[in-house]
Amino acid sequence: MNVEAGKKALRFQFAPLVDKLGYKFNPAEEDVEFLLEAEVTFQRQYGIPYCPCQARTRDRAGNMKIVCPCIPFHREHYDAMKRCWCGLFVHKDVTDPSALKQIPPDKFVKSES
Amino acid sequence: MFIEAAKVSDLAPGGMLGVKLNGAELVICNYDGKFYAVSRKCGHAGAYLERGTLTGYILTCPLHYAQFDIITGEALSGPVPEAPAVKYPDPAAPDLATRGLRTYPVRIEGDTITVDVYSV
Repeated sequence: MNVEAGKKALRFQFAPLVDKLGYKFNPAEEDVEFLLEAEVTFQRQYGIPYCPCQARTRDRAGNMKIVCPCIPFHREHYDAMKRCWCGLFVHKDVTDPSALKQIPPDKFVKSES
Repeated sequence: MFIEAAKVSDLAPGGMLGVKLNGAELVICNYDGKFYAVSRKCGHAGAYLERGTLTGYILTCPLHYAQFDIITGEALSGPVPEAPAVKYPDPAAPDLATRGLRTYPVRIEGDTITVDVYSV
């Protein structure tokens, strides 16, 4: 199982999914390659492409919420940042991803509605 | 030597068909109007792959979700460990190994899909 074929397959599968969620791959291509390589490694090790930047725990249900693309499980939080946590995906209207900042989950205030 | 495997009309885009040709078992796949043939069984548990799903050029095994590239036959990801009580603690265990699929040359002759099952 070679890494390049794995990355190409993840791109192929993720692109239409995140498109429907209003996101796109980060224009910073180097970052995307790095993150996808990490996901391919996880896929080899664990069979599942977990988010490379979020810690897994012993709680399987919780771990399923960080399987890439994890946008639907953290929608409000990611929409506020205009990016997903690791930055693999950004909002479609983002042209300068370096200007986007992470908001730690404990600092993110959910809307009342 | 190319042998008739199916009719073009048998397979809609995104469709798969399992066939037996002179003792060889293979799956014909229609990816955006182009036809590809790969070996029929997953190298892990021997599942018939035409019962899985074809997403673009990626074929997913119906049993444990191993994925294959139908163009090159390459295994893209291995079987997923059983959940929630993980039967195989190590996903790289030999029990969870699969292998790439053999690919076969495909030729369209009129409305017939032919496959060379003797190619090496």
